[in-house]
Amino acid sequence: MYLTLRELRHNKWKFSALGLIIFLIVFLVLFITGLANGLANDSGSAIKETPAETFILQKGSQARLNRSKLTDPDWQKFQNKYHNDVTKLSVAQMTIQKQNNASKKTDIAYFVINKDSFLAPKSVKKTDGNQVYVSRKLESDGYKVGDSFKDSNSGKTFKIAGFTNTESYSHSPVIYLNNQQAQNILPDSKSFNAIALKKNLTKRSGYQVISKQTLINNIPGYSAEQSSLYLMIGFLYLISLFVLAVFFYIINLQKISDFGTLKALGTKTGYLVGHVLTEMGLLSVSGILVSFLVTYLIKLKMPASMPFSLSLTTLLGTGLLFLGIALLSALLSLIKVVKVDPINAIGGNN
Amino acid sequence: MPVLELKNIVKNYPDGENINEVLKDISFQVKKGEFAAIMGPSGAGKSTLLTIMGALLSPSSGTVLLNNQDISHFSKKQQTQLRLNEIGFIFQNSDLIPYLKISEQLQFIQKISNKKSTDAIAILKQLGLGHRLSSYPNALSGGEKQRVAIARAFINQPDLILADEPTASLDSKRGREVVQIIQETVHQQNKAAVMVTHDERILDLVDSIWQIEDGKLNKVNK
Repeated sequence: MYLTLRELRHNKWKFSALGLIIFLIVFLVLFITGLANGLANDSGSAIKETPAETFILQKGSQARLNRSKLTDPDWQKFQNKYHNDVTKLSVAQMTIQKQNNASKKTDIAYFVINKDSFLAPKSVKKTDGNQVYVSRKLESDGYKVGDSFKDSNSGKTFKIAGFTNTESYSHSPVIYLNNQQAQNILPDSKSFNAIALKKNLTKRSGYQVISKQTLINNIPGYSAEQSSLYLMIGFLYLISLFVLAVFFYIINLQKISDFGTLKALGTKTGYLVGHVLTEMGLLSVSGILVSFLVTYLIKLKMPASMPFSLSLTTLLGTGLLFLGIALLSALLSLIKVVKVDPINAIGGNN
Repeated sequence: MPVLELKNIVKNYPDGENINEVLKDISFQVKKGEFAAIMGPSGAGKSTLLTIMGALLSPSSGTVLLNNQDISHFSKKQQTQLRLNEIGFIFQNSDLIPYLKISEQLQFIQKISNKKSTDAIAILKQLGLGHRLSSYPNALSGGEKQRVAIARAFINQPDLILADEPTASLDSKRGREVVQIIQETVHQQNKAAVMVTHDERILDLVDSIWQIEDGKLNKVNK
């Protein structure tokens, strides 16, 4: 610590530049992670945030809700066995418009559910007639509580009774309908898409049984977005490992003769290794902390059209992972430090 | 009793298929309060001899006695400990640590050592460096840097001081001043000191002179 603090003090600018690089990389990683999570939420939060664990689909529907069609006899089989732990779900991606403005259309996803079932968000209450609860995401399209909208396809009008959270499905806001309301809109109201189950189930002959995550992964667009973003994040980690390793190496290479002198004067190698690790650790930790702060500020200012979501766990996890990467990068420099021969100090070789 | 005694020291280096004998059967000794100089042309083995005296290198054969203790087969770890506590080094280019202030150059040595600490500031003031205590080495002249290096060598109260061409990067006037300081401190504090040099103008300041040539060391009558 004695050497570390004094060296940081003396070479403020050099080490600030290195800290800046660490900050920029960590910030970029956090930012892309936040966008990836935000898009993931935007894609599947209406499914993700339910307590359902398993979804039962028609056999051969390739884990896609819109390719699955179940009927009442199917429902009976499951209800007899699981009672209140199962419920029906239908999803339809459609378009709505403001009542008096046909040119302003919004893509939405209808979720046809039983309001008492576990798939319904807590704020969904009993409604009558044409009153519906909708995702708060619709607010950014100019809808308010009490507004009416028209289903573009059927021409049927609904009134917004209240907002739920920002549930969305395939980047569209969700509108919760009950069975009766759905009958006026959907062509085939006798059938439904899937049965949601609150328990873990892996197999049932005659049906495709999938986990919640599998269902989300198969929401159109979800996997493509997530895999490209995570590929970018992965490469960022790899790039930063090498960039930091090179920077650390060069910085320590400049100090090799000092290390030789220090060893000749009787400084233990372990002390010097600790010195280098503390130095790199302090720089990384400060870079990471500043990037936490900046990410937090950015998060407050992000527009609703750019979904951004970063939980505290992800934030801390990313920070820790990066600290690990930074210390791993210092490894090459440490080998060099260990290998310095104090004999170099004699004979004016340096 | 000598502080440092070398008996029949041989040092070989492999040189291709041959063996290069750098030091051939060297014996040497230096007593308390004695300032010894080792002269010789470059390539004669002066530096190698100094690294063996300074526990930086082990001899191929022979005995190195520091305060009557055989240090020729010490492990690297023991050597490091020995250099820290028993030997003070003065290097050719002073080799101060660039990011430590002058007073910290000495305080660092005290910090990593388990010896009872002396007053570093007082030693620096005594060497005329009182106004430089919170300067960095790059602000100092060559002579001042070498005086800091001398203070650093003496700070831990070692029994043996080793100086590697301390005048090499100084003009003759400053060089003489620096050697004079070493001489005075050695005599005052009753230490043993060995200086490797090829500067004949300062030989009047030392107590004994040794000549090394082709790996052989002989005492020269003063």
